[in-house]
Amino acid sequence: MSLQIILNGIATGSVYALIATGFALIFNVLKFSNFSHGATMTACAFISYFLVADKGLGLFPTLLAAGAAGAVVALFGEFVGFRRILKNHSSATYFFVSSITLGTLYEGLVTIRVGSNFFNFPSFFNKPTIGIGSLVISTTDVMMFIISVAVLLVLAFVIQNTRLGRALRAVSFDRDTAQLMGINSTRMIQSAFVISGVLAGIAGVFLGIKYTLYPSLGSLVVKGFIASVIGGLGSLPGAIAGAFLLGILETVLLSLLGSGYSTIATFAVMLLFLLIRPQGIAGSNVQEKA
Amino acid sequence: MALLEVKNIHKSFGGVKAIQDFSIEADAGEIHGIIGPNGAGKTTIFNTISGVYTADSGEVYLNGTQITKLEQYKITRLGMGRTFQNIRLFQGLTVQENVMCAFDPQSRYTVLGGLLPTPKRLAEEKRGKELCEKYLEIVGMKDYLKERPENLSYGMQRRIEIARALMCEPKTLLLDEPAAGLNPTEVGELTELIRRVSKQIGFAILLIEHRLELVMSISDLIHVQNFGKTIAVGTPDEVRQNQEVIEAYLGKED
Repeated sequence: MSLQIILNGIATGSVYALIATGFALIFNVLKFSNFSHGATMTACAFISYFLVADKGLGLFPTLLAAGAAGAVVALFGEFVGFRRILKNHSSATYFFVSSITLGTLYEGLVTIRVGSNFFNFPSFFNKPTIGIGSLVISTTDVMMFIISVAVLLVLAFVIQNTRLGRALRAVSFDRDTAQLMGINSTRMIQSAFVISGVLAGIAGVFLGIKYTLYPSLGSLVVKGFIASVIGGLGSLPGAIAGAFLLGILETVLLSLLGSGYSTIATFAVMLLFLLIRPQGIAGSNVQEKA
Repeated sequence: MALLEVKNIHKSFGGVKAIQDFSIEADAGEIHGIIGPNGAGKTTIFNTISGVYTADSGEVYLNGTQITKLEQYKITRLGMGRTFQNIRLFQGLTVQENVMCAFDPQSRYTVLGGLLPTPKRLAEEKRGKELCEKYLEIVGMKDYLKERPENLSYGMQRRIEIARALMCEPKTLLLDEPAAGLNPTEVGELTELIRRVSKQIGFAILLIEHRLELVMSISDLIHVQNFGKTIAVGTPDEVRQNQEVIEAYLGKED
């Protein structure tokens, strides 16, 4: 197994980690999987493509625009799709329906704007690859890895050490009790959506760069979903570990089996995890309330 | 006006009248016991006062402010602390973090301060940590800052819940069966603790409890509930003599 393949896997894994944490964050707070996450990624990638990247403004402005778009789209989704359901303490089934509907809506809107064409982000770097000894790594991969890790580190700091993070964790464990301790749960849920939206925006741009930009790009959210299942639904460190594991596994399988079988093998791994260790790597703390 | 004033609240769930015409006036330093058989609507009273439910009619005032229809977190911020019948600490957060959660809404710093360690934020965090330690010391749990509550005994968890409620800087403290599941020694310590905080901090305490020896020994006034109605109000001695109360608890003599 060459080091080259592992490195590619790590770069892919870092993008999956962004998706998986965005996914896990919402799962944590609301105890449901937000299936509109993928379409949010696509929408943000396209918004930033047309607003920024198309005008040749470089990678960082593009990421900023995508992150901002993500925050707005996620807030919109929270308000339109989830607020009422939350207030009524309705069953999780409604979140499921609501999030799928929202996702379809976003994807439809994107398709109306761009048709089913493929778009390419302009190449952001003069030197497409960096050579270290015999290794050749694409500059995009390196940047993707660095930026993703930086974003995840900031997120980890916020969750572990700030007032916002503490309140988010409290709301994740028990929304009602948190309210009675003076925490504005609605505001916290909005914050979770904003963070998740920003992560979705950044991930969307990276996916667009790595593959191409097309309206159903968001279906790659499945990778984030698999990663968070492997890691343990709702656990952020688990999601990140799962994402890197998945990224590496995928590239390794790709080089061994080719693209057809590697996809099947990936899903097989997820099924195996569900069979043997359904609580995931982290053994997550998602439990039924007494 | 008293610190907490509840005026003729009613609350029904479908056909069940959980609270019928409940009123209470509690002032700083007072302890009010609420007793009654299971299903008498005691916890519903707490839930209605603290905003989990909205009263169908009637009014609730906290320190002169009408709070009847306010959202829960706003009521808490105005000075309502409470604990729960079944302990509801945040599992997965340390003891310190649990208590700090209740302080965070009061700490004043800006969005910028949330991201950067500005002097103001550092000062606020320090104030929060000190308060946290102070209240944990009062309940005798100061040595367990970094522990996870789920690893501690039931009695200890109850104390942490009280510390968390104190951290809300309450003007009124609602204690929902604080002695449930405690052994006799722990009940004794708890009685002592409630008495102490009532004197030391000076707020109104409402106490729901089944352990009569606890309620009777520390309450200034006792409200007896049965099937949603208040059947007696009085000092512990008066209540003990009350025929209707004895019937509610022991059944009628034929």
